[in-house]
Amino acid sequence: MHLDPRQSAADGAAALTPTEDSGLLARAAEGDTVAFEALVERYTGRVYGLALRMLNSEADAAEVLQETFISAWRNLKSFRGDAQFGSWLSRIAANFSLMRLRHRKVTQAVESSLDEPHFNERGSLIDEVATFGDAEEAALNQELRAAIEQAAARLSDDYREVFVLRDLEGMSYEEISGLVGITVPAVKSRLHRARLTLRAAIDTFYAERQ
Amino acid sequence: MSGTSCKDSIALLLEYLDGNLSDEVRARLATHLGDCTPCEEFLRSYRATPGLCKKALVARVPKSVADKLTSFLKEELKKPV
Repeated sequence: MHLDPRQSAADGAAALTPTEDSGLLARAAEGDTVAFEALVERYTGRVYGLALRMLNSEADAAEVLQETFISAWRNLKSFRGDAQFGSWLSRIAANFSLMRLRHRKVTQAVESSLDEPHFNERGSLIDEVATFGDAEEAALNQELRAAIEQAAARLSDDYREVFVLRDLEGMSYEEISGLVGITVPAVKSRLHRARLTLRAAIDTFYAERQ
Repeated sequence: MSGTSCKDSIALLLEYLDGNLSDEVRARLATHLGDCTPCEEFLRSYRATPGLCKKALVARVPKSVADKLTSFLKEELKKPV
């Protein structure tokens, strides 16, 4: 079953160019609320998606959505045109999401050794991993989507935030380091572990269907 | 295993895909991957993971959330900045 194209459209703001935004931005910066609302409509999907994946909560994501856009409205004059508006919004949303995560003080570390690849005493992989086949090219069905959503939700906050910012939002290691307040090597380490966990979940999904 | 264990190889995959390994380490890893089918498969699935996740984790904004945002902004944008 293919991904619902309407869902991809919700993330379609990434395809917009700065040029398409610049006219609206100029008007919005002068206080034109209609222009700002048009920008909101373009980027709602992207901001909501980032917040939802980082926070793992629809209610919190809805709050961050509001906080992000009102903050953007109030700080439009400080927005530098040399950056992409979408990237600027993503950083604002990431900051609000990170603040919420910190406030939650979630202590549970859900990472399980079951998610790691298994090695024998000589450091060799114990089992051959199930092949993904041409999964990256294949249609993604709802069951796989659900398996990935569950695995992402089970990541500890520390790993999930780095994974979302890097692999879903495409931020640089340096940007993430600055936002999260950890070193670049720590960003890479958390990202690697998050990817291993998610890879294991996908691997299990395919292995159970062979 | 060409001097590199599977465990060592997997620890290097992120830097390998980012192109950040030294020529020597990269060559050693490439040799291992060429000799070790499980690790070669592991690399393939590891490389595919971010793309699959990005596709799977696209979120749709619920109508109730979009409506609430619209109402919220209509009120907030009236206020002086």
